[in-house]
Amino acid sequence: MTLVPVTYKGGIYQHDIVMDLIEDLGGYIVQKHILAQEVVLQCFVPREDIELIREISRPLFGEVTDSPLVGTEIAVVSMSLEIHHLPHPSCDIAEYVRRLGAKSNMVSLARGPGKRIAGLNDEERDVINEHDIAVYLLGNFETCIEYKMPTLRRGIEVPIVLCGGPSTDVLRKIIDPPVDGYVGNVGRFMRRTKEADELAKLDEIIAEITRVLEKKRDAIAKDPLSVAPARLMGLIREKIPEILDVTSPTPLTVQMAGLRVKLPYDTFAEKVRKVEIEDGITLGEIAEVNPSRMRDYIIVKILPFSETNTVV
Amino acid sequence: MQAVEYFEVECPEALGAEYYKQIANDVLLDHNLLRVIYKLHIFIDPKVPVFIAVGVLKRITTVVRVGDFANVNPQEGKMTLVISDETYLAPMLKIFWQRFGKEKVEQPDRFTVILYGVAAEPKEIEDIVVADPSESLHKDLIYALRCIAPEGFRLRSEVFTLDKFVFVASENTLAEDIGTLVREKFALMSEVPP
Repeated sequence: MTLVPVTYKGGIYQHDIVMDLIEDLGGYIVQKHILAQEVVLQCFVPREDIELIREISRPLFGEVTDSPLVGTEIAVVSMSLEIHHLPHPSCDIAEYVRRLGAKSNMVSLARGPGKRIAGLNDEERDVINEHDIAVYLLGNFETCIEYKMPTLRRGIEVPIVLCGGPSTDVLRKIIDPPVDGYVGNVGRFMRRTKEADELAKLDEIIAEITRVLEKKRDAIAKDPLSVAPARLMGLIREKIPEILDVTSPTPLTVQMAGLRVKLPYDTFAEKVRKVEIEDGITLGEIAEVNPSRMRDYIIVKILPFSETNTVV
Repeated sequence: MQAVEYFEVECPEALGAEYYKQIANDVLLDHNLLRVIYKLHIFIDPKVPVFIAVGVLKRITTVVRVGDFANVNPQEGKMTLVISDETYLAPMLKIFWQRFGKEKVEQPDRFTVILYGVAAEPKEIEDIVVADPSESLHKDLIYALRCIAPEGFRLRSEVFTLDKFVFVASENTLAEDIGTLVREKFALMSEVPP
């Protein structure tokens, strides 16, 4: 059974039928948003059952669309929180990936701007490394990007998609060693992205992120995870009811190979480790439960089959 | 860019220049500054790195007087002001309080101000200067230029006079002969530095 990420959009009336159906089919609901009279579910469902969901939700005017970014956490790395970079383009891009199902976090560097003076500290590096992918938003000048990129990528282990003012070919030429993805002609600008060509540029960024994530997914598929992150999410929600009191929009953030649990590490780490998955196998046996550099959250890294010899 | 006589962005990287022209246009438009700029030349060299903006301003001579937004009607023992635009109401009241005292100034509603027993001619009241828009002009211009300049360029040298301005920024110590470069940029607009 292959689970594929999809978004379900439909009316609030009888949406619980669809939710039950997804769960009965063995799928997982990652996020649920209720906006006025509309429900948006971001979920993983078995590929062969998508048609069935479409059919059952048709009388409810439900709509099922592919959204390749569901279940990923993306770091949008902005050079600073000044007016120069915010709200355009940083927020525009962060918002756009969110629409397609990703959970995006904006990571703003303390000393990102400039050429010689640009730098990355250890906290920023660790926070970026906790994500599935980092989208670097750089400026308009080739010279500056070439000069500062080696500093900004030092210690980053996750795939990087680089956006900058020069064209894609130029970016490809000046970055050595190469990063995973490039999107040219998106540097610093001071206007809202609303024209057709600007939206096309955002779509291009999404396409590049999707391409890089697909590659990562393929790599994970070669050595599968001991448990699906979405399944772990359901279990934690069931076994640790305190998570329901967390007011953050996504108290449990699903990643491609892990999970961010937004509960204090010191109090809840042991509880999380002891969550039983199946047949006496606990979460602590098949995953690493570490303190996150983001606030005092917990970050769960699921180990692959080759390390645990178990798949549940 | 309408109403600006000369507007150029010079940069060794052609694409960079194009982006910065767009940024400058957007920022100046947002801050409503295009109407006060007559000529503007921006020079950026990311290799040095240095950012220079030089320009000539249009002269803004108009000051806002009470007569511009209010009708003064003299009556027996009092003077009634009918306000047509509230924008400058607050600074006007402040001036009245200072000059005549609070007890002589009354504001029964949003669009009416009454002055009691004021020893002044209606013409005199109409001529009181309430605000000078050019006062905040330099402040706005500096803010806009800081938005346009690349963010890391935090070492700045600025000269703002009534009709011209120079804004130089870099992340390194500015070169001693930066004045020569500024003069060259002014010469491109057939002007001399302030």
